[in-house]
Amino acid sequence: MDIAIRVEDLRKSYTRRRRGEGFLGGLKAYFSVKPETIVAVDGPSFEIRRGESVGLIGENGAGKSTTVKMLTGILVPTSGKVETLGLAPFRERRRLAMNIGVVFGQKPQLLWDIPAGESFKLLKAMYQIPDEVYRYTYGEAVERLELGELLKTPVRMLSLGQRMRCDLAAALLHAPLVAFLDEPTIGLDVLVKERVRDFLREMRRRFGTTILLTTHDLKDITTTCDRLLVLDRGTLLYDGDLPGFLARYGGDRTLNASLSREPDPESRLALEREVQELGGRVVWEGARSVRVDGSGAGMAPRLTAALLRHLSIEDLSLHAAEIDQVVAKLYQKGSRTP
Amino acid sequence: MSAALRAPPTFTQALRGFVSLADKTARARVAYRAAILVSLCTSALGYVVFFLVWRELYASGTASALMPQADLFSYLVVAFVLNFALSLQVEGRFGQRLRQGLIAADLLRPLGFLSFQLAQALGDLAMNLVFAVPVYAVGFFFLGPGVLPPSATALSCGVVSVGLALLVNFAISYLLVQVSFVTQTLYGVYFARAALHQAFSGVAAPLAMFPGALATWAHAMPFRHVIETPARILLGQARHSEIPGLLFGQAAWALGLLALSSAIFNAVLKRHQIQGG
Repeated sequence: MDIAIRVEDLRKSYTRRRRGEGFLGGLKAYFSVKPETIVAVDGPSFEIRRGESVGLIGENGAGKSTTVKMLTGILVPTSGKVETLGLAPFRERRRLAMNIGVVFGQKPQLLWDIPAGESFKLLKAMYQIPDEVYRYTYGEAVERLELGELLKTPVRMLSLGQRMRCDLAAALLHAPLVAFLDEPTIGLDVLVKERVRDFLREMRRRFGTTILLTTHDLKDITTTCDRLLVLDRGTLLYDGDLPGFLARYGGDRTLNASLSREPDPESRLALEREVQELGGRVVWEGARSVRVDGSGAGMAPRLTAALLRHLSIEDLSLHAAEIDQVVAKLYQKGSRTP
Repeated sequence: MSAALRAPPTFTQALRGFVSLADKTARARVAYRAAILVSLCTSALGYVVFFLVWRELYASGTASALMPQADLFSYLVVAFVLNFALSLQVEGRFGQRLRQGLIAADLLRPLGFLSFQLAQALGDLAMNLVFAVPVYAVGFFFLGPGVLPPSATALSCGVVSVGLALLVNFAISYLLVQVSFVTQTLYGVYFARAALHQAFSGVAAPLAMFPGALATWAHAMPFRHVIETPARILLGQARHSEIPGLLFGQAAWALGLLALSSAIFNAVLKRHQIQGG
C-alpha cells in the first residue's frame, strides 16, 4: 500500500500567557505571567493512501489547520509521528515543498503587486515545472476556473473569489503529489465553488493527486472526497467513508404525512403513544398534516407502520438527515463518544 | 503506479527560480515607482543640506584639514547613490507579511526562506538602480570625473565591495527579521537600525572625519561596510594595501550575521506558533 500521509499519536500544544480583562489586566500581565497550556492536537492517528481525497472537518479550534501545518512542515509536533510522502515534514521541508501544493483560505500566496499570470511564470521557474505539465495544468486552470482576463490583473485588484481561484491554480500548477487545501472555498459564491470542485476532481483524475481538504462547507466533502476525518478538540472522532458517517451519526428520519380525513382523538392518542414507545415524537402540523420524527436503525419502517395503522394516509414522504445537519448536531453535542 | 517524489532543485535550477523571483520583485516595485521617486527626491534634499553645510565648513576653514573639499564632495555623491541603491525592502515586506499571517506561505517555497528573501532584495536593488544611475550621472555632470573610479583596480575592487555591501546590508536586515520573530514587532528594532545606519555607515561623511570615540564605535559595527567601505574603494580613497582587509571585513560581517540569523531562524521555527491555527 502506497501511503501519502501517516500520522501516529500526533500532538501539538503551546503555551500562552493569560491576561486579565481590560487595560489594567493587560498591564498586570507584564509583571505576573500566568502561562496556560493549550492542546491544539491531541493524539489523532490515521493514514491516507496515495490518490485518496479526504475531507478534514471539525468545529473552529478543533485542530484542523494545526494538523495541516504539521503535515506541511510549518509547525513542529510536540510529540508523535508525522510523515508526508515518506518525509519528515519539518526536517525535510524544502524537499517536501517540491511535491506538495498548499492553499490557506483567505491568505493570498501570489505576489501582491504583479498580475497572477506573472506569478504563475515565477512558480514555473521555482518548481521546475516541465513544459508539458505546465501547459496542461495552466490550460485546465484557465478553462475550468475561468481565469482568462484575471491573469493580467495585479493580484491586489482582484476580488476575494478571483484571488482564491488564482491561488488554487497556483498551488496546483506543479501537479503536486499531495494538495493541502485549507478552506479553499471560503467566501466564494455557489458558482465559483462549483468551478473549484470541478478543477480539483480533474487534477485528481489526471495526476492522481492526493487531496486533504479542510472545510466548513460540507458540499466540498460530498462532491470531492471519498473519506472523512472528523476532529473534535484535537482528537479524531470519526475516520471512514461518508455513508458510514451518516449511518453512524445520521440515523434521524422524518416522515411527513398528508391525511385523507381528519383523525379522531383516539387515533391521535394511539399514534402518539406508539411513536413515543418507539422513541420518536409526533408533531401535528394542521388538521390533515402530521410529522413524525425518529432516530435509530430500522426506525423508518416502524414509524411508517404506526402511521398506516392509526391514520388514513393520502400521501407520505420520508426524509433522512443531510450531512450538514448531522455534522451540526454532532458539533452541538460536542461529543467525544460515538 | 504512483508518481515518484521530485528531487529538490539542483543549484542551476534553484538559481533560475531565484533570478525569476528577483525579476518579479523588481516588476512589483514598478507599481511603486512614484513612491520611489519621492523617496529619491527627499533623500536628495537631505544631501543638498549636507553639501551646503560642508561647503560652509570648508569656507570657514574648519574642515579643510580633514579632507580636500573635492574628495569629500565626490564621496558624498557616491555615498548617496550607494545609500539609495542599497535601500532594501526586506524589513518592510516581512513586517507586512508577518502582520497578515503570510509567512507560512514563504516557508513552503522550495527556494528556502533565506534565498527567498535575498532574491527579493536583489529585485529591490535592480529597481533602485534604475533611479540611482541617473543620479550618479547628475553627480558626474556637476563634479566631473572625480566621482568616477580612478583606476581599473578601484573599479573592479569597488564592484566587488558594492556586492559585499549589498550582502552586509541584507544580512543586517535579515537579522532584524529574525529578531522580530522573537520580539513580535519590527518597528523598534527597525528604527534603532535606521539610527545606527545614519550615524555610523558614513552616509554623511567618511569615518576618517569622525572624532576619536565615534570613529572607534563606527569601526566596531558593520554599518560602515554598507556605505563607507565601497565608496572609498570605488573612489580610490582606500590605499591598495588596505583593500583586501576591507573586503575581508565585509565578507566576514556578511557571513557572521547570516550565520547568526540562520541559528535564530532555526531555533525560532521550532518554537513558533501560527496565529489562528
